[in-house]
Amino acid sequence: MSVSITFLRPFTRVLVPFTLHRKRRVLYIRILQRYMSSKIPTVSNPSKESMSPSEQLELDGWKITMKSSVQEEGISTFSSSKDEDPLAATRELIEMWRLLGKEVPEHISEEELKTIMECVSKSSKKKYLKYLYIREKMKKAKQIKKEMKVAAKEQVNKDQLPETTKEDKQQNFLFLRLWDRRMDIAMGWKGTQAMQFGQPLVFDMAYDDCMKPKELQNAVSQLLESEGWNRRDVDPFHIYFCNLKTDGAYHRELVKRYGDKWNKLLLTATEKSHVDLFPKDSIIYLTADSPNVMTTFRHDKIYIVGSFVDKNMQPGASLAKAKRLKLATECLPLDKYLQWDTGTKNLTLDQMIRILLCLKNSGSWEEALKFVPRRKHTGYLEISQHSQDFVNRLKKSKTFSSFPRGSVNRRSQKN
Amino acid sequence: MAFYFTGIRSFLKLWKSNPYLGVGPGHAYLSLFLKDYYGIRNHRWFSLKPMSPQNTKAMNLLIAKARYGRKRDEGSNKKVSADSPHLFAAGAAKKRSEMNPQSKDHSLPPVRNIIQLPTKPLNSEEWNKLKEDFKGKTNFENWIILQMVKCHSSIDVAKSVLAWVAANNNGVVGYNLLVKYLYLCVFHKETAEIIDVYEIMKARYKRLESGGYTLLIRGLMHTDRWREALLLLEDLKKVIIPSKMNYNDCILGALLHQDVNVAWKLYQELLGHDIVPMLETLKAFFDFGKGVKDDEYLNKLQDILLYLRNNQLYPGESFAHSIKTWFESIPGEQWKGHFTTIQQSGQCLGCGKTVESICLSSEEYEFLKERIMKDVIDGGDLYRKTTPQELKRFQNFIKYCPPFDIVIDGLNVAKMFPEARESQVLVDVVSQLAKQNLKVLVLGRKHMLMQNSRWRKDDMEKVQKQASCFFADNISEDDPFLLYATLHSGNHCKFITKDLMRDHKACLPDAKTQRLFFKWQQGHQLAIISRHPGSRITFQRILSYDTVVQTTGDSWHIPHDEDLVERYSYEVPTKWLCLHRKT
Repeated sequence: MSVSITFLRPFTRVLVPFTLHRKRRVLYIRILQRYMSSKIPTVSNPSKESMSPSEQLELDGWKITMKSSVQEEGISTFSSSKDEDPLAATRELIEMWRLLGKEVPEHISEEELKTIMECVSKSSKKKYLKYLYIREKMKKAKQIKKEMKVAAKEQVNKDQLPETTKEDKQQNFLFLRLWDRRMDIAMGWKGTQAMQFGQPLVFDMAYDDCMKPKELQNAVSQLLESEGWNRRDVDPFHIYFCNLKTDGAYHRELVKRYGDKWNKLLLTATEKSHVDLFPKDSIIYLTADSPNVMTTFRHDKIYIVGSFVDKNMQPGASLAKAKRLKLATECLPLDKYLQWDTGTKNLTLDQMIRILLCLKNSGSWEEALKFVPRRKHTGYLEISQHSQDFVNRLKKSKTFSSFPRGSVNRRSQKN
Repeated sequence: MAFYFTGIRSFLKLWKSNPYLGVGPGHAYLSLFLKDYYGIRNHRWFSLKPMSPQNTKAMNLLIAKARYGRKRDEGSNKKVSADSPHLFAAGAAKKRSEMNPQSKDHSLPPVRNIIQLPTKPLNSEEWNKLKEDFKGKTNFENWIILQMVKCHSSIDVAKSVLAWVAANNNGVVGYNLLVKYLYLCVFHKETAEIIDVYEIMKARYKRLESGGYTLLIRGLMHTDRWREALLLLEDLKKVIIPSKMNYNDCILGALLHQDVNVAWKLYQELLGHDIVPMLETLKAFFDFGKGVKDDEYLNKLQDILLYLRNNQLYPGESFAHSIKTWFESIPGEQWKGHFTTIQQSGQCLGCGKTVESICLSSEEYEFLKERIMKDVIDGGDLYRKTTPQELKRFQNFIKYCPPFDIVIDGLNVAKMFPEARESQVLVDVVSQLAKQNLKVLVLGRKHMLMQNSRWRKDDMEKVQKQASCFFADNISEDDPFLLYATLHSGNHCKFITKDLMRDHKACLPDAKTQRLFFKWQQGHQLAIISRHPGSRITFQRILSYDTVVQTTGDSWHIPHDEDLVERYSYEVPTKWLCLHRKT
């Protein structure tokens, strides 16, 4: 790129903003002068190497403007005053991180700041900040979407206003548009029927001590979701929330989420344990750690699902619970039907209830295991006797070949 | 079950322990900018010259997965060779992993780079032109300066970017550009430039963030204004705990300017925060100590050596040299140092003295026994690993048996040779040990007693005749029982398994107990290294000495890492520095 040809262009670039912001004129003149002084010699000696002294001069120019511009704006200095509020200091730190392009939120409330201050380690602070950042981003995206929707709707209304009023008069309908409410009532009827004659399905809520607040919130979200799926089914379960301590963390969170609806839910919430409510020999505790594989769905059994989100790696917690009460345990036959790829075999509560509902409505295993997330497996296995034997043989002969047995065992148990 | 294998193998690869030792000072800072970097890494127009560490790791995992099928066939024929180093010796894990051919070569994908980084300062016209060529997601200024940071361009080029940005933007340069520019200045050690940027930041911002502070501290420590860096450290302390690198820089700077008191004060503060200091920091104290004739300083350096001992840290090669030169420079004490190894008997090849035994002291032993019972077997919920009934049964069994000489992990030993029948292998091992008149305990699970093609009843009867046996429930874990039975039998008792027991070690509450466990494990674990079923079993030798920094007053023995050997966290170094005083 030759310098002599292109040398006029910087002028235009600088001149355009110059006309726009009159306030900054002083600054611009200074910069412009510097440009002029630095560019003029380049014309006389077009070779690049020889322009270094003048170029050097121009390179440091921004520093002066950086320092001087501050004095104009009147920002105070880098004070290290002792009596400063640590909250404010943290807020400034976060602001600086944001300038650096780190994942921190733009706005932050006092409470959130306090939570950050209470975080023990640096990494937990960063994690929490990232969580806030993502939440803020989602909120903003939602807001924008909402606004766009409103705008689009207004546009449509404006366009169609004259025609719609004409057409509306002459149509005959059989039903009023009250579908949502009808559906709610119908589901309510089905729910009451399930309360009387439905098969019990127990959620064991005894895990609130094992979970952190975050995990508990996730568990409650999953419970809400499961309850929703159950309500919509043709033949719902009669859901029990067992071991639910009144005014425990679980109870509080559930009441908070359901609001007034909590007392009108068509399910049984009890402080009692499932072993008090049902005969012990008809209970089956579902846990991924179980050595027994579920082969069929039995309509005369009471299945228990532990409502436990475990992000803290506590393998065997639910199996230990079942062992303590001497209950039968089963796990889903995931390995038998699916080519498992990644992820734990612990499924979420809503996935569990959908699988169980599907099985109950006499769906096959293939049908029921559709609800296992696709990312976790690569496909269904062709189950023939031959391949089953082959897999068994492979497992027996190869798995323990060259690796410490303990570690292999542990991994498989965890999943 | 077979599918977890790739996972474990590739994880091993990620668990290497080279925290800050191998990494140059520059690389650690790169994490500051990683976020920006992610934005463009996947962009199809630009692929960058230096691959990011994450990326290569991910590639390794993928490749390992892809080659998984092949590995299974080959892997079954491979065994740990007999001349392999000790199970816990530095580099052993690496060697074991290299025996699998799959982990060798995978070439990096071809490198393309559309925009050439300029090597000379450009004027604003040229920058504009370059910007037009750029089609990335992030903004151009950020991207280009990030590339410069990665390729360590000269600061003049970076300065010309800033000048151009300032000219376009009212004379204002954003904080992120400024920090990256500062990084380049610090990297090239341009003191005057660092001070300029420091002034600018002081003028513009009331407070900086950790990355900016870190760079400024590092930059200022080598200038005459190093005391201001200490103020910056104070500022940083108000919001977060400074990193070990911040302390390292400050201590290095203080020592450079001969202010020993400040350096020691900072060191104490660092320990007060429960931060493990960088070995570089400790090395600096030794390097500085060469000229100092001061008893107090001498004591403090010995405290550092004891700190290394208590925390089972091992100095690197250059650090070991520093220690050696420092000892040899103590006036009037005539120390002499050699780099040696330790014989199998525990004798130092340099001076012939015996180093400390691997055996635990009796109170350490009792403590460990109790912790294993409490944390590994019970762990807050007895039902997780066993049941109370089973534990009772086990304790009764142990109580009424005489102490054992050898405890065997039945399942681990039996599964050693996939081509042989499990029960046969177990019989072989047990009968060979029984012939040596050892009292043997075999731990297993109940399913081993069920007759099937892999577990023959007559074999198991033979085992039960020659050894005591305890069979746990099929869903219980047998390893904790193994540990407890061995510990209960006393110090002479050993256990046989190839399992490294890392998961049980992780159940222990704190690092100190874990180190105790590891020491005991090194002294009591026998791993079988025979290659063929039926052949005489040979064991991995047991270390008789403890690999830890140690002293007898007039001698020091200091194990250290070699620069070229990769040591995993559960291995110990093999090279030693032997120091003794001439009398």
